[in-house]
Amino acid sequence: MPDRHIKLLIIFCVLCFSPPVTVNAEYGDVLINNYSDAAGMRPVVFPHWFHRIRFRCKVCHADLGFKMEAGGNQINMLQIIDGEYCGACHNGEVAWSVESCDVCHSGKPGEPTQVHQSTSSKLTATTGRKKAGNQE
Amino acid sequence: MKFTSPLQWKLIHASGKTIIAGIILLCSGFLASFAEDIRSGKQVYDSSCAACHTAGVLQAPKPGTQQDWVEREEQGLEVLLSHALKGFKNMPAKGGNPAIKDKEIENAIVYMLVTSGFDQYAKQPATSDAEKTTVASTVPLKQATATKPVNSSVNKFNRLMQPPAEWNLAPDKDGIHDPENAGTHLLQAPKQAFETLTQSRTGNRVDWVKALENNEISPRYERLSDTAKPVVMDLNIVREVKGSMPDVVYPHKQHTEWLDCSNCHPAIFIPQKGANQISMASILLGQKCGVCHGKVAFPVSECRKCHSKQKDATAEVKN
Repeated sequence: MPDRHIKLLIIFCVLCFSPPVTVNAEYGDVLINNYSDAAGMRPVVFPHWFHRIRFRCKVCHADLGFKMEAGGNQINMLQIIDGEYCGACHNGEVAWSVESCDVCHSGKPGEPTQVHQSTSSKLTATTGRKKAGNQE
Repeated sequence: MKFTSPLQWKLIHASGKTIIAGIILLCSGFLASFAEDIRSGKQVYDSSCAACHTAGVLQAPKPGTQQDWVEREEQGLEVLLSHALKGFKNMPAKGGNPAIKDKEIENAIVYMLVTSGFDQYAKQPATSDAEKTTVASTVPLKQATATKPVNSSVNKFNRLMQPPAEWNLAPDKDGIHDPENAGTHLLQAPKQAFETLTQSRTGNRVDWVKALENNEISPRYERLSDTAKPVVMDLNIVREVKGSMPDVVYPHKQHTEWLDCSNCHPAIFIPQKGANQISMASILLGQKCGVCHGKVAFPVSECRKCHSKQKDATAEVKN
């Protein structure tokens, strides 16, 4: 199907020739800003790399029920305190507890929810930049 | 006090003081020859450093391989110089040759840094050799590194690509963490964690599958157990691909090392041959394989990791 090929070609070109995004976050870092900004907290940065050194994907994404979608879990602090999601480990036993607020809530205020350095975020960042007319 | 010129001295003291003048001439000549004797970084490197540093003997950092130098460069030239002069880990003092002058060692380090892409160490060309040595020795190190050559970045290679020095940045420099937040500075820098892991070209610059295979990491399979073993399924699925790309071989083994069946089946992939329509476009947009690949698992630019089975030429002709 030539139409699909053209679409693919465009996507690849955008990916290959798009200027790098100024943010140099670690690949896979998830910024979660479902409620933080509104609550006057810094958004959460979840470092995937740090956790996958210590746990296989299965622990969080099968056992603890984390959906594989940035911001898709609508996690709030009450759930964490009750031992759900992050709270399954961040309870002072497996990992440090919830009172270390600013270790998780460490993102730049106002940053949108996204997986950093992800292919799809690069695609949207490029189109956004084109619209703003900021391209070189 | 400084001698302006040995020649002036000679003229002033010409009458009856030729012997003194001769001695001074000899001394100044000696001094001059001493000044000229400071060899360039490249000369020192070629004669005394190359034996280990070119091949990276005993983990010696290789010039031209920026990755070897990023963390060393961060410590500053003064620290590197003191390590090289006094010896550090496998590096013997002055590379085992005490005859090399301190200044020459510094030149060699600067040469290695510049060839490894740290352009800020390249000095402006001086008008003469003698001037070069005086400039180099009088200008404080920090000031010398602060001046950037005019043409270092404009015409450089891979202008739009992230240079190795910007890979795996520490949280306070990565652009998504707030450096003003105290907790940010408690977080580990990825570079430190990745030091001992098998490298790759993309993503985190870590080959996670190999790191697990080689026991470089031992991630838990159960939240509270260090010993629980994953249920690994060794079954390759070959997906024939239209066009010229090699067919895709999907290995269940590497995936089940990390994941549970329920992570993919049945929501993302229907567990039945031929039941899943997968296209590169959907993967790029974060669906199917793209749920992980391009977000946390190796990105789609690693074409050949999946498209790994060459098509059988004879079979194609028959069909």
